[in-house]
Amino acid sequence: MKKIILTVLLLVVYSITFSQSNYEKGMQKALNFWKEGKVTEASNTFERIANIENDNWLPNYYVAYVNIIAAFQDKNLETLTLKLDKAEKYLEKAQKITPNNVELLVLKALHHTVWVSFDGATYGRKYSGEISQIYQQAKEMDPTNPRVIYSDAEWKIGSAKYFGKDITPYCKGLAHALELFTTFKNETPFYPNWGKNRAEELYNNCK
Amino acid sequence: MKAIITFLCCFNIFSLFSQTIISGKILNSKKQPIEGVNVFLEGTYDGASTITDGTFSFTTEEIGEQTLKASFMSYQTYELKGDVTTFKNLTIILKEEIFELTGVTLSAGTFKAGDNSKISVLKPLDILTTASAVGDVFGAFQTLPGTTTVAEDGRLFVRGGDAEETQVFIDGLRVFSPYSSRPNNTPTRGRYSANLFKGTTFSTGGYSAEFGQALSSVFLLNTIDKPSQEETNISIMTLGAGIGNTQLWGNNSLSVNMSYINLKPYESLISDRYNWKKQYESFSGEGVYRKQFKNGLLKLYTAIDASNFDVYVDDINYEYQVQNKIKNTNLYTNLFYKGVLQNDWVIETGGSFSYTKNDIVYAVENIDQDELDFHAKLKLKRSFNSNIKLSVGLEYFSENFGEDYQNENSTIFTSKVENNLPSVFAESDIFFSNKLALNVGVRSSYTSVNKDWFTSPRISFAYKTGENDQFSLAYGTFYQSPKTGYLKYNNNLKSEKASHYLLNYQYIVNGKTFRAEAFYKKYVDLVKYNTQSPEYNSIYTNSGNGYASGFDVFWRDNKSVDNLEYWVSYSFLNTKRNYKNYAEKVTPNFTAKHNFSLVGKYWVDALKSQFGFTYSYTSGRPYDNPNTTDFMAEKTKAYHDVSFNCSYLLTQQKILYFSLSNPFGIKNINGYQYANQPDQSGFYNRKAIKPAADFSFFIGFFWTISDDKKSNQLDNL
Repeated sequence: MKKIILTVLLLVVYSITFSQSNYEKGMQKALNFWKEGKVTEASNTFERIANIENDNWLPNYYVAYVNIIAAFQDKNLETLTLKLDKAEKYLEKAQKITPNNVELLVLKALHHTVWVSFDGATYGRKYSGEISQIYQQAKEMDPTNPRVIYSDAEWKIGSAKYFGKDITPYCKGLAHALELFTTFKNETPFYPNWGKNRAEELYNNCK
Repeated sequence: MKAIITFLCCFNIFSLFSQTIISGKILNSKKQPIEGVNVFLEGTYDGASTITDGTFSFTTEEIGEQTLKASFMSYQTYELKGDVTTFKNLTIILKEEIFELTGVTLSAGTFKAGDNSKISVLKPLDILTTASAVGDVFGAFQTLPGTTTVAEDGRLFVRGGDAEETQVFIDGLRVFSPYSSRPNNTPTRGRYSANLFKGTTFSTGGYSAEFGQALSSVFLLNTIDKPSQEETNISIMTLGAGIGNTQLWGNNSLSVNMSYINLKPYESLISDRYNWKKQYESFSGEGVYRKQFKNGLLKLYTAIDASNFDVYVDDINYEYQVQNKIKNTNLYTNLFYKGVLQNDWVIETGGSFSYTKNDIVYAVENIDQDELDFHAKLKLKRSFNSNIKLSVGLEYFSENFGEDYQNENSTIFTSKVENNLPSVFAESDIFFSNKLALNVGVRSSYTSVNKDWFTSPRISFAYKTGENDQFSLAYGTFYQSPKTGYLKYNNNLKSEKASHYLLNYQYIVNGKTFRAEAFYKKYVDLVKYNTQSPEYNSIYTNSGNGYASGFDVFWRDNKSVDNLEYWVSYSFLNTKRNYKNYAEKVTPNFTAKHNFSLVGKYWVDALKSQFGFTYSYTSGRPYDNPNTTDFMAEKTKAYHDVSFNCSYLLTQQKILYFSLSNPFGIKNINGYQYANQPDQSGFYNRKAIKPAADFSFFIGFFWTISDDKKSNQLDNL
């Protein structure tokens, strides 16, 4: 009897760890694709995971993330639109799972920023105000998130530079973000951890 | 314990043995491989992306009945059910999804301004930065083909149509008096500020069955659904001042604008041909309240404005300057709701209400007018898949006009017109593919004043001939009730009718747009009367008719030169009509054979400034010289206008704006006013209709204050 119970228990444990490792393996595989610059493969893999993991915002987050970052380099209206539409769809799905998540707000702001940087005359009026508003909201919700502080600073540096204004106040924001990057902790596996290198690079340009 | 471990090992080995390889190739409908397609077994982690040659291959431990899916943006997702072992060397053909961005668009007759850069010919900022428009919505659209510049009027005259043949709608609901009141022979402007609108559609013909009571054209304005941030806007101009504020809370938002315009300080600097007793003064307020529901959006737009002026102008029929005094009050309110119902039906419904009061003094005449109108509409839309869209709706217009007219003998004539117009409409967009689309619609209306039923079919068709170019065709019939000015004396008049035939070609490639359109328009049942002006004892008939034909060309280029955007419009118009009291079929005085506009905008980074330039040319317009036997046989000289503007960004939140119109002082003549009676020698004297001033300028300072203090005035540039 004992043996049977133990067997069943082990089987259960085994299957749980097995399925967890499936998720982990998948996420790892997708992140590796992303590191290798294989955007489509990364996006497709995250999408497959997102379609199964209905209560987990992270794979949805990553589908949006890889498409948004890739869209920054895309100068073709058609492919750019496809990427951003996909990003928006998964972002909305993620927001339904965790409605008050600052990481998702940062992505939403970046999504709009792609449009503004692609064609400022057309999309500037629609999005500039909203981007600032989103960062403001994110800072109020979590002033200790380094990605919020850094992305907000980068957006402001961009517009200050454009107007030939002093960027020093925003460099302080970057310095603060860099501090936060060292102290920020979230135990959730695969929690977003990007931004530090770019923040350092920007900060060095401040000097 | 050992046994268990052995069992688990076996299980693993077993699972290794049960791996199945799934493979195949994915092609589009032209049998070309598609790269990057996501192929996977539904509900599992197992899948792969297709490589350059369209092939894919992956292994799975799943067994038995499974669903294989292949998904790729802009294609319809493919599904295959079957045993995993059969998923080998598959050849899958993905069907294209209807994609607005690259697909065919039903574009005949239509110009859009908005943030969809593929189908928009104007960007949102263009309305504010077109030099000749000085912030007026209608002014900006007058630089597009299909319009004739009628400089002494300022309204939109489309393809040989009178200004009254164009109707304006806000969120699909009619605006009954879209233009502000100005002295005779002075160009008017739109009543409502451009800032509250996110997108504009200007149709020069062949428009949707959703719209009626417009013989020539519809102009559709849509208010912003969701303002992006809380802000306060302050403007100080040579003509007055304005203040606006936007508040957001929860799912609600409220934007209000107020402005005060007074031309007195400006007129004291620049003298004009008029003798002002009281310069144009107006006070206006607008507000939009929006509420977002779980499945819908409610918008309430309200505008109030009051304006007045008192001016003495030359009139050939009087030896002295005659008084032209107007007091105008207008209230407009518009309630709109859009929501998603069960079964994927989308509902759009609302009503608009307008009250206009005019107290007019012209020379010895005294006119008091009251107009109370409303429009209610209900529309249901549904997409059956990405290929077929259906919309059906009903609407009701009610127009109530009253006038007291007092002539030089202090005799008062009172007239009243009440017209109720219920209508039903239905239309369907059918996309056979990304290349071929069809829109068919029908509209049926009743007018109470003359008890007249009429039905108008509308059809439009578009075919994509290449990657970047397409042809469209459109046909439709359009009815409009006769002007209140006639109905008040005769309520047996039928509705006037126009038929439109359009052929459009457009070529759009990254940042460049070319459009050409040929059209033919036939008018029947136009109102005629037999006196010098429409009077209570005139004989009115529907015996008038006419035609307009011609072509338009439009070219816009945003890309070839860095920081330069420009567009060129040319329209050729050949039109004749016999209406009003015309003796024969002639080219009317509000049309010109050739119309040309060049608009340029150049951004200079070092100066943080945008410089704008507009040149407009209109060939001579006809006028009638009663000293000759020919009717409407003479032509004015051609009209030219050059305008410059400059927007200078002082800081991110402050803009200084200058504009100059006609700085070279070109002496334009817009027509002639002839005396009603000949002099003793039998000669009709005349007076040239000239602009109030040949030259004008405008300076404005615009300041946006937002919560985060970093928001960008570039938005308003």
